[in-house]
Formats: sequence, structure tokens, C-alpha cells
Amino acid sequence: MRDKPILIVGGGPAGLSAAHAVAASGRKAVLVDKADRLGGAPILQGYAKLVPSHEWAKDAIGGMVDRVRQNPNVTVRTGTEVQSFAGNPGDFVATLKDGTRVNAEAAILATGFTHFDSLNKPEWGFGTYPDVVTTVQVEQMISSGQGIRCPSDGRVPDRVAILLCVGSRDRQIGREWCSKICCTVSANIAMEIRELSPKTNVYIYYMDIRTFGLYEGEYYWKSQEEARVKYIKARIAEVTSDGKRLVVKGEDTLVKRPITIPFDMVVHAIGMDPNVDNMTLSAVFGVGLNRYGYVDKASTYAGLAQTSRPGVYVCGAATGPETIDDSIAQGQAAAVAAMTLAGVGLAQAAE
Amino acid sequence: MPIHEKSLIRPENLITNDSLVIDGVDVSGHWSTFIKSRTITDYNEAMEDEIAALPGGENIHRCWQCGSCTNACTVNAVNPDFNPRYWIYLIRQGLEEELLRDKDIIWQCVSCNKCTYACPRDVLPEGVMKATAHWLELKGHTPKSPSTHFDEGFTESILATGKIEEGRVLRTFFQRTGQPLNQPWLVALVGGLVKRFPLGYLIRMGWSTVFRPRTSNWRRTGRAIEEYVSERRAEQAKALGLDTKGGH
Ligand SMILES: Cc1cc2nc3c(=O)[nH]c(=O)nc-3n(C[C@H](O)[C@H](O)[C@H](O)COP(=O)(O)OP(=O)(O)OC[C@H]3O[C@@H](n4cnc5c(N)ncnc54)[C@H](O)[C@@H]3O)c2cc1C
Ligand code: SF4
Ligand code: SF4
Ligand code: SF4
Repeated sequence: MRDKPILIVGGGPAGLSAAHAVAASGRKAVLVDKADRLGGAPILQGYAKLVPSHEWAKDAIGGMVDRVRQNPNVTVRTGTEVQSFAGNPGDFVATLKDGTRVNAEAAILATGFTHFDSLNKPEWGFGTYPDVVTTVQVEQMISSGQGIRCPSDGRVPDRVAILLCVGSRDRQIGREWCSKICCTVSANIAMEIRELSPKTNVYIYYMDIRTFGLYEGEYYWKSQEEARVKYIKARIAEVTSDGKRLVVKGEDTLVKRPITIPFDMVVHAIGMDPNVDNMTLSAVFGVGLNRYGYVDKASTYAGLAQTSRPGVYVCGAATGPETIDDSIAQGQAAAVAAMTLAGVGLAQAAE
Repeated sequence: MPIHEKSLIRPENLITNDSLVIDGVDVSGHWSTFIKSRTITDYNEAMEDEIAALPGGENIHRCWQCGSCTNACTVNAVNPDFNPRYWIYLIRQGLEEELLRDKDIIWQCVSCNKCTYACPRDVLPEGVMKATAHWLELKGHTPKSPSTHFDEGFTESILATGKIEEGRVLRTFFQRTGQPLNQPWLVALVGGLVKRFPLGYLIRMGWSTVFRPRTSNWRRTGRAIEEYVSERRAEQAKALGLDTKGGH
């Protein structure tokens, strides 16, 4: 009988889902998160209504947190990290920074991502002009109930520009991935702005629109057909200010004309970088990273949430940009893999 | 949706009927102005590969039409018709006829490389502009530009002697670009030199104009370089489907 717990690192949507699945199977889990609260990005950053459920993050993900917190099979340790990790599948020993030792059957990395820091694209004005904000800040404006206001003077903006792909799809800054969810999140935010403040016009500057699958009708079309959000095909050159309002400059590629348009607020749709801790996690857990810096995952056809180290599994945005729904599904898959030590025999046979 | 952007309508595509009645309504003259549709009837499928085969054009296939190069561009700020993003689109789709409409401004790129640092895909648009201007010349769509003439004179001087003979390069350049040698600034420059330089120096200068000094042992090096250059040119001519003997 396997009675040692499964160690789960990271208590965002992926880790919460893995912990729930392990506990629901009657097994024990130890959930470690370096933050002082569970919930991951949606809770720690204060997201508003989620895609695609339209539920408030504090209700939806908050519900997942409560479910795990209340489950006696899960031991939660927040505000700490794993300092060392040794042993073999079925018999690992992890030492936490707070000194606790955890004997574990297997481990699941659900350590998520880091938000792109817009200061790395100085031409788009973040850090220079207070009214240039990120999607995370707009989520917070909405979820806090404060509404859409220009940080500089608290006025309701007449016109908001959302710039897509900030920190994604850009060789200049070594980020050759699409962050997958920001098109849909931006369409969602645009609709929320229009709802909260119908006199505010919202423009989305895009290169491609990637509201994949069912998000097409629900977000891309709806934002145009019902909320009257405008989409302009242009990658912005720079955001400056005329002293009163922000000025967005670029080329409207469809009419082949330069644009210089005044805005009250500019929103960066920031991407999902690899977790800044990944180098450390890679060293502590002995798992490989892929060429972008996310935790490397074996082929989905053959493996189940497997990393390069037998007995250590991975799920969610730790593996690359992922949505909440997919992170949750992957968390469940990783739980199954960890409880059955899936792939361990395979990996040993391959050695 | 019809495009009502005036600058996109070409005068030759405007048709007006002096007398026309449609369904009993007289729409003669100004009332019957039609815009002929600009249907694209074919793609030149070789064009992108040809430009990619010239130095600088290698990454053209990466472009996703974001417009960052154009909105960063020094020349575009002065002349909105100078639009690297648009030209790259035309080349990639093989819309040769459209590209040729702008053939007389493409060479104006000043190689400031602002586009290079703006492009999220590392297309190197500056290189593409160079390759495109080069392509236009090789295909005979534009005459050799002054800078091509300069480069050629410069290269010939080096290949011949292993030295850059400034006087000769300058003379060749003026001659080939059809400019007179007695330019006031040049006359003043030479006059000043003659006045101020020591006699011995002037004699040496005159001597070396007649008996061109060479870098020692230049013959072998020069030949190797020449061979390399002509190989590259032959490769490019082949990629462009040109007669190898004719090209420059
Ligand atoms: C602005 C914005 C809005 C978004 N809105 C939506 C949306 O509406 N719908 C949707 O599907 N997706 C949305 N996403 C994506 C969503 O945030 C991710 O899909 C989701 O957070 C991934 O969950 P995760 O558990 O894998 O990672 P995370 O949420 O990042 O959680 C990782 C957890 O691991 C912890 N951790 C990190 N490193 C360590 C360490 N070394 N040791 C211990 N613990 C660690 C962190 O504290 C965190 O709690 C949005 C993203 C952004 C940027
Ligand atoms: S999801 Fe959209 S905004 Fe986000 S990186 Fe991909 S294309 Fe850009
Ligand atoms: S290098 Fe040429 S195309 Fe690029 S920005 Fe400068 S002038 Fe424009
Ligand atoms: S910046 Fe690069 S990718 Fe964008 S249009 Fe110009 S060449 Fe293409």
C-alpha cells in the first residue's frame, strides 16, 4: 500500500486541482506555496471575471482554495519553498525552507508563470506615464469595484487602447511564444470596460486575433457585435504624451497610413513569462527546462505529465502559457500520474 | 466593403460615360463615374525566393505584416509612400506589378536600421530594402543607382590594385553617373591641395595616377577575391533566372 503523500509545489489552479484529485482519491497531499495565500495568479493578482465562465476569480478559484483547505487529506504549507529534494520514485525526501521534512511518494510541479514586466518594452510608455497600465491592473480596477479610472487623476477615460502581444511573440526580447489567453482576456476586459462605462470607447491594436475554439463567438465576435469594441491591425511604434493625453503612434496597416491618435488610457496585454524561479526549481528538482525556459514535459502521446526526472510531474502554466481550464485538467492528469507513478518503469527501462 | 480611400484610387481606373441612361435615369457625365476594380490576376511565385537569394533578403519569409518597420522608418516619416511593410507584402505575395509602381523610391532607404531594431520577427527589413533595390536593378526595372555605380568603381579599384585610389574612384563615379568633373567644390578642393601640398607629394600623386601602385603580391589575392565575387554573382544571377554573362 502506498501511503506516503504526494508533494505538490504551487497552489494555483493547476496545483489546487491536483491536490483535490489526490485527496478525492483517498490519498494524502502536501501542498507547498511560496506565497502566503493559495490561489495562484487569479487570486494573488486579483483578477476580475474569468474567461470563459464569467465567474469572479475570487468565487471560482476561491472555491477551489476552500475545497482544498477543508479537505483533511491535504496539508497546506504556505509562505515556504522546497529547498532540497532527494531520493527515488516512491521514496523522496523534500526539505522545506522552514525546516520541515516531507517524505513523498512523488512530486508535482505546479509552479506557474511570471507576468511579463512591461518595463522591458520602454517604447510603449509603461513606467513613464501613469495612465499606461497592464491587463493585470485593469483586472484589479474591476475586481476592487473601483471602476475604470485613469491612475493620473482618477477621471473616467473617453478612450482606451489595448495593445496585444506585449511581451509575447517578439524576437527583440527573446520571447518566441504566444501567451494564448491574452487576446481573449483583452476582448473580455474590453467588454467589461464598455459595460462599466458605456461612454468609453475601446480600441484593440492587434497583429493576429487568437480567440481560439469557442472563444471566437463568445469573445471576439461578441465584443465587436454587441460591445462595439474596435479592432485595428497595427503594432504600435510608441506611446508618448502631448502633456494632456497619451498619444499612440503607429501604422494602420490596412489603410497604409501613419496614425497618431490621442488616448486617455493605454493597456498592455502582458504575456506569461516562464516563472522567474525556474532555474532554481530545475536545480532543486533535477528537472530539465525547454528552450523557452518553461519546465520541459514529455510528449503527451507517450507520457502523463512527465518531466525529465522519474517520479516528478508537471502541470499548468509551469509548462508554457496555459489557460486556467487547461491548467486544471493538467493538474488532474498529473495527480493520476503521481499516484500511479506513471512512466517510472518506462523511464527506467529506457535508461 | 468598398474602399473609399481617395489616395487608393488610380486616375486610370476612373471611368466616366459622357451619356448614359440606366433604368430611365440619366446618369451622364459626372453622375456615372465608376471605379474599375483592381483585380489581381496572378502571383509571381518566384519573386520572394529571388529577393531572398540576394544579400539582406534572407529573412523576408518571416514577416507577419505588423507594420513596426514602417512606423519606425526614417524615410517613411518624410514620405508616407516609402513603406517597407507594404513592399514586403507585395514581394511575398508576388504582386510584381504593384511593387514596380514604387520602383523609383525603394532605393531611398538610408540604412539607418531603425526597422531592424523594431521588427519583432528579425526580418531585417533594411536588408530586404537593399536586396529589393538590387533585384530591381538586376531585373532591369531600374537603372543602376548612383550607389551601385560607386560600389562598382570602388570594387574595381580594389580588385585591380588592392588599393582604394580615391581620385580614380571619384572620377569613375562622376563619369558613370554622368556628372561633370569640374564641380565647383572639387575644383576648389584640388586647387587648395595644389597650393598647400609640398611639391614632392604632388609629384608622387601624379606619378601614381599614371603608374598605379599595387599592394605587394596582390595578383593572387586579387584573383581569389575576384573569383569569389564572380561566383556569388553567378549564383545570384542563376537564382534570378538571368543570363549569367549579362548581369553585373
Ligand atoms: C491578466 C491575465 C488574465 C488572465 N485571465 C484568465 C482567464 O480569465 N481565464 C483563463 O483561463 N486564464 C486566464 N489567465 C491565465 C491564468 O492566469 C493561468 O492559466 C493560470 O494562472 C495558470 O495556473 P497555474 O496554477 O499553472 O499557475 P499560477 O496561477 O501561476 O500559480 C502558480 C503558483 O505557484 C506558486 N509558486 C511559484 N513558484 C514557486 C516556488 N518556487 N515554490 C513554491 N511555490 C511557487 C505561486 O505562488 C502560485 O501560487 C490570465 C492571465 C493573465 C496574465
Ligand atoms: S493570445 Fe493574442 S495577445 Fe496574447 S500573445 Fe497570443 S496573439 Fe498576442
Ligand atoms: S533602414 Fe531603411 S527601411 Fe529601415 S528604417 Fe531606416 S530608412 Fe527605413
Ligand atoms: S517589422 Fe518585421 S514583421 Fe513587422 S512588418 Fe516589418 S518586416 Fe514585417
